[in-house]
Amino acid sequence: MSLCRPTFSLLRKCIGQNLYNLRLSDSRSIKRWVSPTLRELKRRRDRIGPEPERPRSSFLEWNYEAEVYAFGKRLGEEFDKNLLKRALIQREYANKQEFAAREKGLPTPEMLHNYELIQEGSKIISKVIIDEYEKLYPQDIVKAVHEYLTTEDMLSHVGKHIGLKDLVLTNEFPVVNETLSNTFKAVVAALKQSQNLERAELFVKDFLLSQMNGKDVYEIWDPKNPYEYLMKLLNDKGISEVEPRLCNQSAVNTILANYQIGLYSNKKLLGIGWGENVEVAKETAAIDAIQRLFRNYVPKQ
Amino acid sequence: MVFTSVVNFVRSRGPDEFWRKRKVFRLAAAFQGRKRNCYSIAIRYVHRALVYATKGRKLKKIDMKNLFETRVQAACEQHNVGYATFREGLVRSDIMLNRKTLADLACWEPYTFKALTDIAQRKAVDDGLLDLKNADSLDSTITRGIITDSVKPK
Amino acid sequence: MSALKRVQQWATFARIWHLYDAAWQNPFDSAQVIKKHLMGLHKPIYHTMSQCGDVVVVINSADIALPGDEWKKRVYFHHTGYPGGASWTLAWELHEKDPTMVLKKAVYNSMDGNIQRRYTMQRLLIFPDSNVPKDILENISNQLRPLRKVPKRLDHYPEKEVKEFPKIIDYPKDYIVK
Repeated sequence: MSLCRPTFSLLRKCIGQNLYNLRLSDSRSIKRWVSPTLRELKRRRDRIGPEPERPRSSFLEWNYEAEVYAFGKRLGEEFDKNLLKRALIQREYANKQEFAAREKGLPTPEMLHNYELIQEGSKIISKVIIDEYEKLYPQDIVKAVHEYLTTEDMLSHVGKHIGLKDLVLTNEFPVVNETLSNTFKAVVAALKQSQNLERAELFVKDFLLSQMNGKDVYEIWDPKNPYEYLMKLLNDKGISEVEPRLCNQSAVNTILANYQIGLYSNKKLLGIGWGENVEVAKETAAIDAIQRLFRNYVPKQ
Repeated sequence: MVFTSVVNFVRSRGPDEFWRKRKVFRLAAAFQGRKRNCYSIAIRYVHRALVYATKGRKLKKIDMKNLFETRVQAACEQHNVGYATFREGLVRSDIMLNRKTLADLACWEPYTFKALTDIAQRKAVDDGLLDLKNADSLDSTITRGIITDSVKPK
Repeated sequence: MSALKRVQQWATFARIWHLYDAAWQNPFDSAQVIKKHLMGLHKPIYHTMSQCGDVVVVINSADIALPGDEWKKRVYFHHTGYPGGASWTLAWELHEKDPTMVLKKAVYNSMDGNIQRRYTMQRLLIFPDSNVPKDILENISNQLRPLRKVPKRLDHYPEKEVKEFPKIIDYPKDYIVK
């Protein structure tokens, strides 16, 4: 269409002026002003510097009620509206609002905050993680995974990506990780009170336990002295004699030296490991042996 | 060329010169020296690079094929099977895996690959392609019934 | 990366030292085997851009066996770069000068002429006899199978065995054995 337009206008001109003043060089499709304009705009933008970060709630079309409503719908959960709102309010924020109202002499509103919900949510999260992992792994690993999943960074990461960053009511901006992780815990508790415990546990499984997808448990749990740890494990099983044997070695006089060590007990292989020297190989063999022992772990009933 | 409409008498050189050159400079962004900054030099090298890219699309496929074959060959050698015997044995056992998959298996799943060589070897021995001295050792992992679909009544 | 994954990687890319006995071996056939191990073509993880090649230590290169009349007919060309600087050396002459050279050139020529070739050649150690320094010997952890059996010469058999070997004919009394 854009190609036709000049043709039409020319035709109209030709017809109107009876083909007298035919101007061939005037083509309006080449817009020579575009690049200088854009360059100038870029130059001004650079001179001013980047725009400061503003909270989403300061935007004109922000509608808190609608956002809170959409939050639950987006996650496919039925929240009690008041409970969810309460879960999003930090204690400091509530206090500050109260002080401000008192200073102005207004009647102090009953501001609820999420302090109790945080405690409750924290318990639910811990319970879900421990219950799930106790089925598969022994105590030490469960502890390590629990610690890993309940760190502030991990919880705030999850909270941020389900959209809590814009919804949370707090004094500071940008929102710090602690607030986000606390709010996530409170949301879990709010869900429990809105529906039931089972629903809240499923919520934690979907959003928090799924963070373990593609991650190796043995990267999270790393015993400091694997050989000693293995010996302790074996002692519990009644095995005390363990013989580390050098199975293979190559290029021992070079920087790329490689040793392979197998741990044997009563002529049975417990684990095998490699390393740039004998000590490292022995330690990794112990890690392998531990993993082999835990592979067919049966939880105590 | 014959123009039927009046407006096309104007020698049209596309949109603004700036944007036209920008397209070329973007392709020349990774070049070195004046090849990336001066238009008249850049355009020559961009044309050359585009020709290489066209040829490279075919070459890449050949290179990858060679790489996969080298890897599979190396893995076959570890299990004392010839590459040709291995591929033929797999085809005859209705295992239609391409070079890429076989190379991936050889690299990342050595035990799976070992199973494949066993199957291929067994089939090759059964069909008389291969004369193995210790063919009986293959029986421990694979039976004839799994590979050949004919069921003989006892 | 966990400790186990790290050492797995270390072991996968471990550089193995191979020993190859070149006595009575055809250097051009041996070159194919040596090249394969030098470049890492025998590993399923091979890639041209990754350094996955091994080290090969060749011993007894003075005792290589060239096929047919290659000792007399094979010619090595060298040019100094100056006018009239061309020279042609027969294989036996070259072997007399340096008993490792024929095998080294055979391996070098068996590979494609790219930048990697010189670096790959650095991983090839050739010794004319079996006197290998101790620190090199300690690195070796694998021996490559020779391509063919080493033939046993008549004078290597014990005299008694030769005498007792059943004969088809007796030499005539006036026959002179060289």
